[in-house]
Amino acid sequence: MTGWRVPIDRLVWADPRRRARKLLQFAEVEAQGARDLFRAAEMTDDPLLRRRLFAHARDEVRHAALFRARGLALRRMLADPGPEHGLGDGLIPGERGFDRLEVERESIAALLAFIHLSERAASQAFAAYGAVLDHDPETRAVIDRIARDEEGHMRYSRAELTRLAPDARRALWVARLRRFWRAYLRLALILADMISRLILTLLYFLLLPPFAWVAKRAARKEAAGWRDCPEHDRAEGRAGGGQY
Amino acid sequence: MKILGISAFYHDAAAALTIDGLPVAAVQEERLSRSKNDPTFPMRAIEWCLDQAGLEPEALDAAIFYERPALKFDRVLMTLLRGFPQSWRIFPKAMKNMVGEKLWVRGIVSAQLGIPARRVHFTDHHLSHAAAAFLTAPTEEAAILTADGVGEWATLTVGQGSKRPGGPVDIRLLREVRFPHSLGLFYSAFTAWLGFPVNEGEYKVMGLAAYGAPRFADEVRRILRRTPDGAFSLDLGYFDYHRAVDAAYSRRFVDLFGPPRDRFEPIDPGTAQGRHYADVAASAQRVLEEVIVDIATAFRKETGLADLCLGGGVALNGVANARILREAGFERLFVPSAPGDAGCALGAALWADRILFGQPHRDCPDHPFWGPAVEPDDLARLAAEDGLAFERAAEADMIDNVADAIGRGAVVGWMEGAVEFGPRALGHRSILADPGDAAMRDRINRDIKFRESFRPFAPVVPVEQAATFFELPPGGARLGRFMSGVFPVRPEWRDRLRAVTHVDGTARVQVLEAAMAPRLHRLLGAYSRCHGIPVLLNTSFNIAGDPIVTSAAEGYSTFRRAGMDLLVADDVVVRRDRARQAQRMEVMA
Ligand SMILES: [Fe+2]
Ligand SMILES: [Fe+2]
Ligand SMILES: [Fe+2]
Repeated sequence: MTGWRVPIDRLVWADPRRRARKLLQFAEVEAQGARDLFRAAEMTDDPLLRRRLFAHARDEVRHAALFRARGLALRRMLADPGPEHGLGDGLIPGERGFDRLEVERESIAALLAFIHLSERAASQAFAAYGAVLDHDPETRAVIDRIARDEEGHMRYSRAELTRLAPDARRALWVARLRRFWRAYLRLALILADMISRLILTLLYFLLLPPFAWVAKRAARKEAAGWRDCPEHDRAEGRAGGGQY
Repeated sequence: MKILGISAFYHDAAAALTIDGLPVAAVQEERLSRSKNDPTFPMRAIEWCLDQAGLEPEALDAAIFYERPALKFDRVLMTLLRGFPQSWRIFPKAMKNMVGEKLWVRGIVSAQLGIPARRVHFTDHHLSHAAAAFLTAPTEEAAILTADGVGEWATLTVGQGSKRPGGPVDIRLLREVRFPHSLGLFYSAFTAWLGFPVNEGEYKVMGLAAYGAPRFADEVRRILRRTPDGAFSLDLGYFDYHRAVDAAYSRRFVDLFGPPRDRFEPIDPGTAQGRHYADVAASAQRVLEEVIVDIATAFRKETGLADLCLGGGVALNGVANARILREAGFERLFVPSAPGDAGCALGAALWADRILFGQPHRDCPDHPFWGPAVEPDDLARLAAEDGLAFERAAEADMIDNVADAIGRGAVVGWMEGAVEFGPRALGHRSILADPGDAAMRDRINRDIKFRESFRPFAPVVPVEQAATFFELPPGGARLGRFMSGVFPVRPEWRDRLRAVTHVDGTARVQVLEAAMAPRLHRLLGAYSRCHGIPVLLNTSFNIAGDPIVTSAAEGYSTFRRAGMDLLVADDVVVRRDRARQAQRMEVMA
């Protein structure tokens, strides 16, 4: 099912610098996931679910520590760890954890469906990474171990969903659509960002030069040190509650 | 009048509500959204404040934003123009940032609250700081000094204020230093270079400084220079305004101090490399102190006033505050519980009441507890559902039990009443422990705070006994009211107070007056009767990376996560039951 991605994964995980960066990135995602789950546990009224979410959150805390420790160990072996972010460090859906889930605003069904799908994506992603890490058995051991936990998370969240939501299948479909929608939105936002960046950069070079020249001249005349407060410069009427 | 103050869109958003000139509610958005230093529009905080007073938004006479967005835009644009053409890389981001949200505050506030735009007002960023410091302080006439990263244009102001109950209020800012010359940005550049998050890790720089010697003070003075008129300026060559609108350090900075610290590796002040970082931190701290003490001293001579109110993020630097108190000549120094931008929400609301609408002054209650109250019933329910032992005890018994448990090594989560407004836990959302046990300190660092060993914990002591344990200058007890000053621990007590004494023999002590937090005060008394000292370790009730807890559920969850021993919410006490908890976990697995 995921055979097509093996060459890509192999490429991504071959570079030790990127491997270290990715593991450290994962550590942050898992830590955020743990915070979301603790939050979910704080919000829920069902005592059993609360305990399960709590136990789950603790697993994610452990994952964060494992990823971090391995990432740091890899990083220390490098002569030069390079920049903190490199090309191709973007997270793909299976790596995003719960992806800025707003725990308070979700129903229990939506929350559990979301957890289930995220964990499933994570366990698949980690299983795939384990498969291309023959050359780094230690990282592989860490990832394999975490992938097994994620499977457990996938199962319990499905079971809780059945227990607590009258229509579990529908909740799952809604969550699937929402995940898809989010992925689409993210792409759209990246595109919009690129376009606006381009336009603003063009504007910058086309429109700003004369103003920049004036601003620089004015700056040269400005002495450093104390200035009178503008309060006194302002006409009475303007000193009030305006924007300026 | 009913006035809502709002600060948002930069760092640590907050809302505050005043009715008839007195605060009734104030809370940082992070305490409700549970996202640390949440800068987003504080809708949750606003809703809570209005709820607390039973108000609908339409009942508000005014909403006031803590700064003037158009002036801020002017500054950002001017910085980009002056940085032409190197500023091209940050131009798109800065524009989108300003034009996307920050510039349309009037519309956002009016739309979110459903109130007419004419009821939305603005004030100067530093006037908000000044009002937050002066209008909440128990003084009728004072000099005012505010210093932060940057507001609109100002980064530091001096002024003075006068007020008396029932009478008119006057706050005049006289002079200012303008962006890009900024003590806050100066310190932030060192924070970033030392690998700590800017706007958040500044106190780590201060903690690290105690391990070092200011060997590089002369180099730092080349960066932060004095101007002949007594102000200061930054040598911009050491900063990188072209890459970031706030001052990141430049290539020249690195040439001067060496490569920045790798944020992934721990700092060990025992190594040569660690000492180098500590020495640079100590040098930056020293020069910051010199400049601000000098400005305060000159201003004291100029005004002849006895009191100084200090505001802005720089006022969180407890070491500098203590030096101002000792050296500048003022008799008293007032720092509010929230001197940073969150506190501007309250400052702006008070300013609007007194100045914009000309209402007579009323003295504000002198405490920081303006947030949501804890519900002990919620804690009792949670504990019962999880099968944990809990009890509801009469106060005297409860206090004796807790004091006894702390003496036997317990780490206690202590929740009482309303949440503190501001970054410090001042006894309503605190973790309390034995102040004399270094192993205890290490346990809290390791299991709860996951933090660097060079960061000290703070002690809390009753005002009556403070001078026995700490060397407080005149006015020191007041500065310690909201934990705003760092003072020496008396040498003979340093050993008994190991867990709260920093490497240089100092502590950021909270000096507690009974009227402010009576139960904590009684707990200190009970602890003293059992163990001979009325001092406890007091650190904020949260796990690293989380905001301080607000509700019983958050306290309970943090108590469980951190493996604390005892959790108190008003009169409900929950004990950790290791055996039962382990059993339960097994059943689940
Ligand atoms: Fe995980
Ligand atoms: Fe998981
Ligand atoms: Fe500020």
